[in-house]
Amino acid sequence: MYKYIFIFVLFFSVLTLNAQNLKVKAKGEQTFTFEDKGGRNQATFYSRTILEDITGISNDIKGSISFDVSNLSKTLKGKLSVPVKSIKTGIALRDEHLASADWLDSEKYPDITFEVKKVNKVVESKDNKVKINVSGDFTLKGVTKTVSGVFTVVYLDENEQTKMRAAGDLLNVRGKFNIKLADYNVNGKAIPSKVSNEIEIEVNIVGNNK
Amino acid sequence: MLLLKSEKIMNSKQKISVISSILVALLSVILWAFYGFEILTKTSVVTEKKDELFDTVYKVTENKFIWGLDLTLLVTGVSLFIGGILYFILKTKKSSINN
Repeated sequence: MYKYIFIFVLFFSVLTLNAQNLKVKAKGEQTFTFEDKGGRNQATFYSRTILEDITGISNDIKGSISFDVSNLSKTLKGKLSVPVKSIKTGIALRDEHLASADWLDSEKYPDITFEVKKVNKVVESKDNKVKINVSGDFTLKGVTKTVSGVFTVVYLDENEQTKMRAAGDLLNVRGKFNIKLADYNVNGKAIPSKVSNEIEIEVNIVGNNK
Repeated sequence: MLLLKSEKIMNSKQKISVISSILVALLSVILWAFYGFEILTKTSVVTEKKDELFDTVYKVTENKFIWGLDLTLLVTGVSLFIGGILYFILKTKKSSINN
């Protein structure tokens, strides 16, 4: 009986270990930079207000992510940043308010950043795709707090299709997490009660390693 | 319509100014409806695009003007206000009627 239990546990342990690896041609540590000039990369925030829901988008997300292909969950690190002034909400006047000292104060704190700290859990893994729960330091208006969210990482080895986009292997990272504005001293002195405290942030970026 | 038909209440210039202001107000409401009854006026909109390579959808902003309720109320209010002012300015003076 104990023998069967041992085999059962060993079988699932091997599966779990395998699940942390990406099945791709590349070997060793890979570093991907995210600097897409075509406007494909995006960081989006969603906020509920009394009048209507606000969607803010920045297509100016920059940074890099690196990891060892053989053990992504243990080696993942990286940092992404978004200039506050690049966030567009659809109304020019509202964009100005958002960047003003009353809200995000872009003069004093020009960038919003997210730095990967650790992978908490591998949620799902299949071939070149891994779904992971990641913790990281999110910095907004000079305040840094640890946040976590679920991200999907898709690795594409260089091929004829990827070459049309960029040189080298491509990496797509997409995921979302929530923050509370009050945690970052974003109170909106002008119209404090009109914007929800809870903000959902979504990232969808593609980078290359050459 | 009854008011417009009555010569005693409005002269032809008053009729034109009142009808014009009502038409401008109606036009702004029609524009609001045409742009999808948005609450706030916008200068760009979020559109979704498909990334075939990664089989995912991403969002981009595109420059597009959207006529919102705020602008509708402003245009309606201003046109009705101007129409009202003109109604009184263009009122036929009693002395000229008597003459």
